Amino acid sequence: MIDTLFTGLSLGSILLIVALGLAITYGAMGVINMAHGDLVMVGAYTTVMSGIWLHLGFFAAIPVAFVVTAMIGLAIERLIVRHLYGRLLDTLLATWGVAILLQQAVRLEFGASFFGRHIEGLGTGLQKVSVPEWMQGTFTIAGADINIYRTMIIVVALLFTALTWVLMYRTPVGMQLRAIMRNPKMAAACGIDVDRMNALAFAYGSGLAGVAGVLMSGFKTVFPDMGTPLVVDGFLVVVVGGVGSLFGTLAASGLLGQINGVVAAVSNDILARAVIFGVVIAIIVFKPSGLFSYKGR
Amino acid sequence: MTSRRAIEIAGYALFIAAILLAPLVLGEFWINRIAKYLVFGMLGVAICLSWGYAGILNLGQGLFFGIGAYMMAMSLKLASTTSQQAASDTPIPDFMFWNAEPGAEQELCCITKTSFLWIPFQNQWFGLVMAVLVPTLIATGLGAIVFRKRISGVFVSVIMLALVLLVRLLIINNQPLTNGFNGLTDLGSFTVGAVVFDNFSKATYYAVALALALSLIGARLLVETRAGMVLQAVRDDANRARYLGFDVPHYQTFFFAVSAAIAGVAGLLYVNVASFASPTFMDLSFSITMVVWAAVGGRQSLLGACIGAILINVMEAGMSETQALVESWRAIIGIVFIAVVLFLPRGLAGLAGDLIDAATRPRSDAAAKLQVTSNRGGA
Repeated sequence: MIDTLFTGLSLGSILLIVALGLAITYGAMGVINMAHGDLVMVGAYTTVMSGIWLHLGFFAAIPVAFVVTAMIGLAIERLIVRHLYGRLLDTLLATWGVAILLQQAVRLEFGASFFGRHIEGLGTGLQKVSVPEWMQGTFTIAGADINIYRTMIIVVALLFTALTWVLMYRTPVGMQLRAIMRNPKMAAACGIDVDRMNALAFAYGSGLAGVAGVLMSGFKTVFPDMGTPLVVDGFLVVVVGGVGSLFGTLAASGLLGQINGVVAAVSNDILARAVIFGVVIAIIVFKPSGLFSYKGR
Repeated sequence: MTSRRAIEIAGYALFIAAILLAPLVLGEFWINRIAKYLVFGMLGVAICLSWGYAGILNLGQGLFFGIGAYMMAMSLKLASTTSQQAASDTPIPDFMFWNAEPGAEQELCCITKTSFLWIPFQNQWFGLVMAVLVPTLIATGLGAIVFRKRISGVFVSVIMLALVLLVRLLIINNQPLTNGFNGLTDLGSFTVGAVVFDNFSKATYYAVALALALSLIGARLLVETRAGMVLQAVRDDANRARYLGFDVPHYQTFFFAVSAAIAGVAGLLYVNVASFASPTFMDLSFSITMVVWAAVGGRQSLLGACIGAILINVMEAGMSETQALVESWRAIIGIVFIAVVLFLPRGLAGLAGDLIDAATRPRSDAAAKLQVTSNRGGA
């Protein structure tokens, strides 16, 4: 029983960390960033690369991945998304193009493969990241074996959620961002630099994707296509939770994670995912504004 | 306006003439390939109808395509030689033997728990009809729920996206019924009298070309009817249409179902052309790819979306001869896509329309130019 609950919790925390960045880019800014999953992929590759080339450890890769993906996010916002505010579905399509580009950049090793060169850690193949040994063990609570690494993911996911909450609700920057969420034109009229805030928020959301990538790389194989299912999951979590509600995202990821864990325990993983999709459809049909709705722009 | 309309009619006529005459100059190999792309062209039409005219961006059009494909493939699977040669009274697909219930009677009725569902598919016409009927009914049911509840925009997209992935997983999970991840391969051919719709035959090509021409003309005529006009009004401002007394969900559901039916027909034709059905038809990336075709061709032009689909696939086929180009081709598609969304929101058809306007109208006609620019803008 505790086993199953813990599995659900750890699945939920992975959903949470992927969805957290989306909650900001989609929830707060009204941009459906289909490249989010591929930013997670970039984060995972950053872990691989920094291990091979910089000999950085697992934890040291977290800030590196954050900076790398935040920079990519900033570039995406400045070059593409900036022109598309208010055209929700167009952002979806344009960022799908970005997603393909990111995948191909990794596959083609930034073009090096054309010249017959190979950059170690990139390319079409699978990559693996080794987690420090002390994290691979388990400890026992009430007769159930609990994996240390998965516990750490839960802790990090909650930490970053708390950090995001503080940023959004306890700092001047967050207040400006929430003002923009409510009404961008009014916010601009009050002297908020909407352009700059949007760029910052997008970069931060993308940075969170990078962190998610580092955490994922420890227990999942890293490959160029890994991002697509992730962005779907993250997106469903945000929509179910209620667009623009950080708490909704937290609750929805917990809920979907638990459902996934319980169904997988009594049947199989494929059916568990199918049930998740079914639950999501039902929630959207009966409560289109999400579980914890919030009036945004 | 009249000259523009004349040009549009000429465009449709030229295109249809081109696809009907293509087999005269093409070899067997290319006929099969082009037939595939024409099927994708039908998907472009289906997407354009729901996205461009109804304002519903369906990220799960692959659901209708996939169901259409599976319904047809089940019939053709039973018609294949291996199924026919099974040592039983009824034809039995090979994979059912591998998934047979221990000690079960080796007949279609009971070899696996769900195999009885295959019984009516022994008649190929049943598969054909179901391939159109099932997607249409699903779309009607879905539309009745979703549009009645006034769910719109991105939420419809998410529902369709979740639904297509859900069905995909169910198909993969039900190995004894659907052969799971492997899909249905080794299919027979659809046969009418002496005509065998073999995947390399001209008969198949003409069937596809005719279906495309009919759906193109049908959809074009449909959006010009009163219902089509109301639908476009709903797309532009659903509330205003509602206040004017129109039953909004009614129109949305109808066109959603038509779009699903076209996708279903495309699915059944694709099985005849490609000789397989697979859960990859319901991958998210395939459904989004369809939207890409329509966007590049022109989301508000049926012919544009159709040509966009064909054009991208023909180019892709040209590129796929060399391995290095295959990978970079995907990157190019990514860039093209971003560029189209940013700079050509109405796609190639929009560009063509502007060029025609510029050529046919006097240069100083500022009012016309103003109208052209104000027509721009996203969905």
